[in-house]
Amino acid sequence: MCAATGPNVTRLVGQSMPSLEAPDKAAGRIEYMADLTVPNMAHAKVVRSPLPHARIVSIDASEARAMPGVVCVLTRDEVRADPEVEEVYGFVYRDAPLVAMDKVRHQGDIVAVVVADDVDTAEAAAELVDVEYEELPAVMNVPQALAEGAVQVHEEFFPIAPELRPIEGTNVCHHATIGCGDVEQGFAESDFVYEDEFLAPPVQHCALDLHAVISQVEDGQITVWTNCQSPFPLGRELERIFKMPARVIIPYVGGGFGSKSRDRIECVITAAAKLAGRPVRYILTQEETFMTFIRPAYRNRMRTGVKRDGTIVARHNEFWVDVGGYAISGARSANNTLKVATGPYRIPNARVDCYAVYTNKPPSSPYRGLPTTQHTMSYEAQFDRIARDLGIDRLELRRRNLVRDGDIHITGDYLRSAHSHECLEQATEAIGWNEPLPVDPEGKKLRGRGVSCTIKYTLTPAREMSENSAEVALVEDGVFEVRIGTVNIGQGSDTVMAQIAGDALSVGLESVRIVHSDTYRVPVDSSTTASRSTYHMGRAVVEATDNLKPQMLEAASQLLEREAASLVFTPEGIAQADGSANVTYGELVERVGSPLAATGDCVVGGMYAGPDGKSYPIASTFWTFASCAAEVEVDTETGTVRVVKAAASATTGTAVNPHSIETQLEGGIGQEIGPTLFEQLVWDDGGQLINAALLDYPLPTMETMPEYAPRFVDHPFEGGPFGAKGMGEIGSVVVPGAVVNAVYDATGVLFHEVPLTPHKIIEGLEGQR
Amino acid sequence: MNVTLTVNGETLSLDVPPSTTLLDLLRDRLSLHGTKEYCHSGVCGACTVLADGKAVSSCSMLAGQVEGADVLTIEGLTPDEGLHPIQQAFVDNFGLQCGYCTPGMILLAKALLDENPAPTREEIIRYMGGNICRCTGYAGILRSVEAAVKERGSWS
Ligand code: FES
Ligand code: FES
Repeated sequence: MCAATGPNVTRLVGQSMPSLEAPDKAAGRIEYMADLTVPNMAHAKVVRSPLPHARIVSIDASEARAMPGVVCVLTRDEVRADPEVEEVYGFVYRDAPLVAMDKVRHQGDIVAVVVADDVDTAEAAAELVDVEYEELPAVMNVPQALAEGAVQVHEEFFPIAPELRPIEGTNVCHHATIGCGDVEQGFAESDFVYEDEFLAPPVQHCALDLHAVISQVEDGQITVWTNCQSPFPLGRELERIFKMPARVIIPYVGGGFGSKSRDRIECVITAAAKLAGRPVRYILTQEETFMTFIRPAYRNRMRTGVKRDGTIVARHNEFWVDVGGYAISGARSANNTLKVATGPYRIPNARVDCYAVYTNKPPSSPYRGLPTTQHTMSYEAQFDRIARDLGIDRLELRRRNLVRDGDIHITGDYLRSAHSHECLEQATEAIGWNEPLPVDPEGKKLRGRGVSCTIKYTLTPAREMSENSAEVALVEDGVFEVRIGTVNIGQGSDTVMAQIAGDALSVGLESVRIVHSDTYRVPVDSSTTASRSTYHMGRAVVEATDNLKPQMLEAASQLLEREAASLVFTPEGIAQADGSANVTYGELVERVGSPLAATGDCVVGGMYAGPDGKSYPIASTFWTFASCAAEVEVDTETGTVRVVKAAASATTGTAVNPHSIETQLEGGIGQEIGPTLFEQLVWDDGGQLINAALLDYPLPTMETMPEYAPRFVDHPFEGGPFGAKGMGEIGSVVVPGAVVNAVYDATGVLFHEVPLTPHKIIEGLEGQR
Repeated sequence: MNVTLTVNGETLSLDVPPSTTLLDLLRDRLSLHGTKEYCHSGVCGACTVLADGKAVSSCSMLAGQVEGADVLTIEGLTPDEGLHPIQQAFVDNFGLQCGYCTPGMILLAKALLDENPAPTREEIIRYMGGNICRCTGYAGILRSVEAAVKERGSWS
């Protein structure tokens, strides 16, 4: 176990500070993937399917190959001809071929890769690859995919993660259930039962730093540079597919929001690099990102039984997630959110059914906590309907049902650090919940307020194991090098880790250097996802420093010829407690002659003991709670909704870098305003995505920005590094619920589907008249 | 074709294919990687640079259109030591997270402040509304620009 919460004079943890790399970012000096090159690099262009579902009859790449400047073309024939290459990848669900083998399963599916000396030649040659398709009926959404006699997107299933369970003979690639109590009994005991269905369409993450890869296969060694969020799982997958060692290096990443959490281009470009015998670079275009990973379409049917006083007695919740043509990412993320689908409420009888369904849309991936965001919108919107129907105040109804410390969650977990009530109070207070709303004298613009509450898990293994390690080394110049697998994606992880390491070692920031995300230079880490790094990597860093300290004391004791027990750590070095002798860290490492290094692990999962002496499974190492309160203005003539104010409050444990937390919350809220009000991907009847270009896909701008009020509940979380836990994704999760409820408050219409476009609003208002 | 232009104070004469954009010219020919690319269609503003003092999307300007222009990129704005006051304001006010939109945002703010040394909040929002940031929700960017406006008297 890590001694992470021992007595320590906190100096860096708890201070607001800009990220360490902020000056270099402001100067434009940071290198992202698109800025990297390697010697003798060739360039790739991918030939993509124009059809959502088709059998490949033939591929003729001879003209492309003959073009001057073309190095090679990778098609299914080259993949099949290489006995050392596995055809199919996916470390959660193994269903994605490197390039399409027999058929294509979504518009934009990868059919061939053209490698050339320069990008223009690769593009021109890609046009010359002649592919003959035999079109198959496509299932473009979940109802079509579940219909009787629907075509199967995959005839066979290859789940890797043990929890994934397909339903043979259907398009359901995963179905799972979670529950507690007796739901039917619960409904029988209820005074009222409410049933609703909620929908959210797909959107894209639109991380500005386009997903890109450079792959090099040389002398039996793979080296991949990529802005993927999971370097270690990717490295293992490359080693499995190509049967040779693989190194994965991640530079700074310009946002991902889940779109880069799984491989979709790294393995195939490595196959192309192997064939080319040269390093190959590939950068997705913005249009291609829309066909690579998207946030899935979501549908939720929810029945809730309550007592007359608003106490929830039973809930049955079925949700469907459209994972698209490949389940490499979507199936498990859908499954993970089973744990939170019933929300932060005490529900004695509950059942949740999760269905992950193949369709002929592009593959889906997480998106800042997906689909927890949609679950939250669903149960929170229904909650406001119940409150109105029963004549109970909306906040009061929540207070009556919100969990408290010591409650048993639907997963069987005993909840700790559940400050859900504080979050609700903070968020509502922050937007002035009880203040009168401005009234438009002309009566055209309606104001309203809404609130939402959520609970979120973090990725947690089913059995006790180390999820990640860190190494801390005292190196030549007397600096502590902190080697971590965490990807710096803009969330400020280097800074948080430097704060934690600095305090654990009692040194200043200038004595700490972060080395991140190179699988050959840092110890293993599972991924930078699900708000997990501050807690997990932070704990590993603290433990590494704990393991390093005895080594340093031992070395200093020999040098100074003093008892190790009489020595103390100072910001500059190690000293005799009475001040009679000392050695600086620089001298220490110089005199020892080599760096001193130690690793630390963060072991999570398994069971823990509740206060009642019983053992409870750990479905999530920690739970994050949050609330959002929003104020909207609805223009009844144009149908436009404006979010005027948005407050969010989250449980963070100890706030390591408070202002950075606030800006993370602001960013999460601001981003989710898009999918709540106007973003959505649209397909025509022929299965063609019609708005894959930014010109046709508006994103939130400074003009759609509300007035933010970010808050957090800063209670040390037992076991966290200096009491911290994660929160990177929580800001966005609570937005749609609060906004839908605010529009309900303003207009009296409860919308069951986002985005709240002007068209929908006008229709809703007319329906009411 | 041949274009002559000034980039960060240096006058250059370059032979480029006519389809070359200013963005390609800066990134690929001159290795000025501080100018970023995302949409390549003039929408996101990641590629913003100043041409004759005006903020432009360099991805949607052909090299021929900048003949004779005086171009400033983030590299040209950054002093040899330390940062320009607008850059410093972005650092101090958490106006960036991943940093990808940042060079474009900073140059856009520079164009604004050169045009209008004391913009109101509404003017800032209207002027900056075209550039996309996916991380910050824009609040930190607005605070940064407002801080730079306050400091405006102390720099030229
Ligand atoms: S890359 Fe030029 S505007 Fe988007
Ligand atoms: S800081 Fe990431 S896009 Fe603006």
